[in-house]
Amino acid sequence: MKKLSEIGKDSVAVIKTVNGDLRFMSRITSIGLTPGCTVTVIKNEKNRPLLVYSRDTMIALNRSECDMIEVEIGGKTA
Amino acid sequence: MSDSNETVIALLGQPNSGKSTLFNALTGMKQHVGNWPGKTVEKKEGNFEHNGRKYLVADLPGTYSLSANSDEEMITRDYIASGKADVVCILADSSQLERSLYMLADYAGITVPCFLVLNMSDVAKEQGKSVDAGELEKKLGIPVVSFSAPDTKSYDIFYKTLERAADQKTVLDPKNLEKRYESIDNYDRIRTLIPDNVIPGYSKTWLAAKAVEGDAPVIAKIRAAVSGENAKAFDEAVSATGKGVVVSGQCKFEWIDELLSGTVNKKASSVSLGKFDRLITHHIWGKPVVVLIVILGLIASFIPALPLMGVGQLVAKIPDPLNEAMLSAGCPAFIAALVCDVFLRSVSFIVQMLGFVFGVTLVFGLLEEIGVMARISYVFDNTMARFGLQGKSVMPFLISFGCTMGGAAGTRVIDNWGQKVLTIALAWAVPCGAAWAVIPMLSTLFFGAWMPVIIAVILIVMILHMWITAKVFGGSLVKNTDRYGMIMELPPYHKPKWGALFRYVFGRTKDTFVRALKVVLIVALAFWLLSYTSTGDITASILYKVGHFIEPVTKFFGMGWQTFMAFIASSLGKEGALGVLSTIFTGSGTISVGSVVGGAAAENINELLVANVPKPEALALIFAMTFNMPCIVALAATYQETHSAKWTARIALYYTGVALVIAGIAYRIGLLIW
Repeated sequence: MKKLSEIGKDSVAVIKTVNGDLRFMSRITSIGLTPGCTVTVIKNEKNRPLLVYSRDTMIALNRSECDMIEVEIGGKTA
Repeated sequence: MSDSNETVIALLGQPNSGKSTLFNALTGMKQHVGNWPGKTVEKKEGNFEHNGRKYLVADLPGTYSLSANSDEEMITRDYIASGKADVVCILADSSQLERSLYMLADYAGITVPCFLVLNMSDVAKEQGKSVDAGELEKKLGIPVVSFSAPDTKSYDIFYKTLERAADQKTVLDPKNLEKRYESIDNYDRIRTLIPDNVIPGYSKTWLAAKAVEGDAPVIAKIRAAVSGENAKAFDEAVSATGKGVVVSGQCKFEWIDELLSGTVNKKASSVSLGKFDRLITHHIWGKPVVVLIVILGLIASFIPALPLMGVGQLVAKIPDPLNEAMLSAGCPAFIAALVCDVFLRSVSFIVQMLGFVFGVTLVFGLLEEIGVMARISYVFDNTMARFGLQGKSVMPFLISFGCTMGGAAGTRVIDNWGQKVLTIALAWAVPCGAAWAVIPMLSTLFFGAWMPVIIAVILIVMILHMWITAKVFGGSLVKNTDRYGMIMELPPYHKPKWGALFRYVFGRTKDTFVRALKVVLIVALAFWLLSYTSTGDITASILYKVGHFIEPVTKFFGMGWQTFMAFIASSLGKEGALGVLSTIFTGSGTISVGSVVGGAAAENINELLVANVPKPEALALIFAMTFNMPCIVALAATYQETHSAKWTARIALYYTGVALVIAGIAYRIGLLIW
């Protein structure tokens, strides 16, 4: 398993676990990033928020918080 | 406000679901904006009539879910529980249906009648997606309508759906979601322990799901309603839920997937960023592009602004001839001055500024509606997070270099009230166009070639000021719960709804005019009375006497009574300071509102200033003026946007105090140099 922030551009991954405090878990769930869902990393550059595509939505995520999302590479495009 | 014949609709939807557009389109100019009692959250209500039936629309705060993590979410939940709403209108974005139906899933289990609006169907269509609303209706048990705000035909269907939901009191069927919840550890155990009617309108299913999610207020409510063995069992079950919020989230999305299978057709679309998005998310070009967009937006704001500015200037031509005419007709000078100098000049001043507010509201409202604002937020999020603000705050800051009132009007696109007030509070520190017209001139006059250094120091002080102000006000305005790293979606671009946008902009401009007129008239009148003398000798005015009396205090901040008068005048309008100094040093007549807002100065004002004001005092004045309250119209605009007299007064007093402190420091540094 890898952290979401370690996934390179254009890679597809499946979310395995979401960690963090209740508020973060609740917020990340409400935007659709739940275990089992497929994400495509659109942009992953240093010092910039990560851009991922999931459930028909382009989502910008703070880098440090991406560390709390664990994923496994693979799966079909979201 | 609400009477018994009115049907109350509450709009519920995630940010970017098109909720505000629908609200504006429905209610147009009949809106009242305030705050929820005791909360730093904006409350918007509006009225409309359709088919002879009256409606009250409550625009609930934009939230991502119905959890208990923010004031916005708590207000939304309490409002629904209060029974005030006859029907809840839940919005989802058709182009991102899977994600945006989360709100509906989170609503399932609430027994207040509702219906579903699948908004932005035009965008979905462009993306090759189509939704079978009828099929969804069958599965959910509530009316469902495909809707696109720019399409006028959509509204007929919307109204029909609304009437159907309100008349039949349609309740969302949570059966299939319930089945999924049952697979969650401890869900069943908790559900059986919940007594009836813990919170009105919220079923046991909903309450049990929230308890599993670790929702503190719900757990406390249930806990208060159970006792004995049950209480112990409940505590045990709740403490064993662990990551319940993630698991129940999975259930909700599985339910959504099941709902959408067979009702949504979509072409396999390739996932990539458009040209503009590639540019704006670029790590080097992103920020310059945003700054360029805001500057272009600012320039574009002047196009709709010019006619109003012209009207304002026409009004400014009336007072002088009218004054003469009134005097020659035998009208007392006192009354002529009130009408011409106080009233007409105030109106002229406001109308000119209002043009800019109109332009800014229109242009930046448009950028918000088509989806550009969300990108701006993304690009500047990291930078603005240091102030506890959203990325969007960069836009009002940049506008404030032109006009603080425009900057305040620009904060309308910030959806969090606390962050909005904080943005305005920080935007005041940005020297506006009027300051840029006066300060470099004064700096050159007194300090010659050192002018660029003074401007550079002003910019450094500006950043420090903003940083300190963010610390001072940030704590109470922006809760820690709102200060987390960015998690936001970049919505697809969509077409604006011109009619609704214009009605909204006209409505807001009208409100600003009324409010600004009140504030400006009161302040202008007070200033005029204080400076009025029957003889025309300034030393006979109350203002002079007070100024003279407190001179020992103002001296501490580096200013004698004359420059202190100028400082006070500069809080009405920066150009005014020169007019006041001119009046004082030439000893000609009373300080008029005209000289304050118009900045009319004697021709030899430069020589007079250099002869009468020593360099350290001049330096103090320059800094005091720059960082003083921007002007009365900005004050009025701040009141209009924050709709909080308390916060407006707090910010104004803070700025006056800080300007004096900065002036005192500048003065002492000046004394060391000269």
